[in-house]
Amino acid sequence: MRPLLQLLLLFIVSLAAGLGSAWYMIEEGSAFTTARIGPWSVWHSAGKPDADPYTIAHMARAGRLPINATTALYFFAGTDNEGLPLRAQCEYVVEGRPINAAWWSIALYDGTGRLIPNKAERHSFNRTDIARRADGSFRIVLARTARPGNWLPSADDGTLKLVLRAYGVRHADGIAADAAVVFPNLPSIRKVLCR
Amino acid sequence: MRKIIAGILSLVFLSAFIHLIAVLSLPHLAPKNAWARVSALADSNRMVVLPAANPAHQSLPLMAPDVRYAICRFNLESGPVRLSTQILDGLWLITFYTPSGENFYAITGSELKRNQIEIIISRKDRLGFKAGASLLDEIEDLVLVDSPVKEGVAVIRAPLLGRSYASQTEAALNRGTCSNHVAKTASGR
Repeated sequence: MRPLLQLLLLFIVSLAAGLGSAWYMIEEGSAFTTARIGPWSVWHSAGKPDADPYTIAHMARAGRLPINATTALYFFAGTDNEGLPLRAQCEYVVEGRPINAAWWSIALYDGTGRLIPNKAERHSFNRTDIARRADGSFRIVLARTARPGNWLPSADDGTLKLVLRAYGVRHADGIAADAAVVFPNLPSIRKVLCR
Repeated sequence: MRKIIAGILSLVFLSAFIHLIAVLSLPHLAPKNAWARVSALADSNRMVVLPAANPAHQSLPLMAPDVRYAICRFNLESGPVRLSTQILDGLWLITFYTPSGENFYAITGSELKRNQIEIIISRKDRLGFKAGASLLDEIEDLVLVDSPVKEGVAVIRAPLLGRSYASQTEAALNRGTCSNHVAKTASGR
């Protein structure tokens, strides 16, 4: 009886470890599949013919059609600069220098990937409609109630997700092989206060 | 001691095996992968302009609120497919995917000299034009795309240069077409 119990235990622990590690690497990525630049992460082989199995599984689960990283890059942030989850109860400042792309956009979603309803019907800022300082830098405030300047209305509760899309990436070698080289400084995401 | 080492090794190997099976099988088991979603949105060889993303609806996950999208789910069973669209800006991007989500080709508006693009999608090494057909007069206006798969999807992404550009961008996408290509024959011209 005892060997049978031991086998059962071995199987249960292996199942938990195998599925748990697979889920984590598919959902969150790892050093092999994603590049991290501050709070932002990018799946660097998304859409490529030689994409690794984790990236393929991630995209299949997400239901997205990724653009090959040589054409455009998508960065995702679910945490602030401190690594803490973005929460609707908190106010954040997203601050950055000019982004090295012909067009870029920063959009705010709730934790499930839905756009957040708001009277201003404002869900994103992009290179053409954001108010910038003279040096090209910008500041976006994520908050529930209106703020002066670039205000992205936040949700009532739950978590938040930011997506930074960069089209027409400008890079010397013509290939955005290493996102961290092309974009050494992506916008910071700083928590201001929480309710 | 030997039993403990054997137990740990078994645990590691079995976990790794389950891990691999899970990672490799997920793309085939995911019920809402991109191809399933695209198939529900569009018939074959027809251009479909997706509604702008809003809080109540997104045709595909994580659509950009400031990008307009059109898709052409192509099926090359009956020969090449012709995709035609206006390009209002150099930022417009047309990407081609296999059902598994591999982005096998992309072209941007900035690579074109014209504001109208005609694309013929054909099976790799199987252009499929009938005998006597000629592309010579058309070739200047055409982009030929070799598809590694019989079925796939082309996605047109049109970033907005501002909110006021939304209606003209949507109108331009609505004028786009996606249909079976009928080659002009030499005698027919």
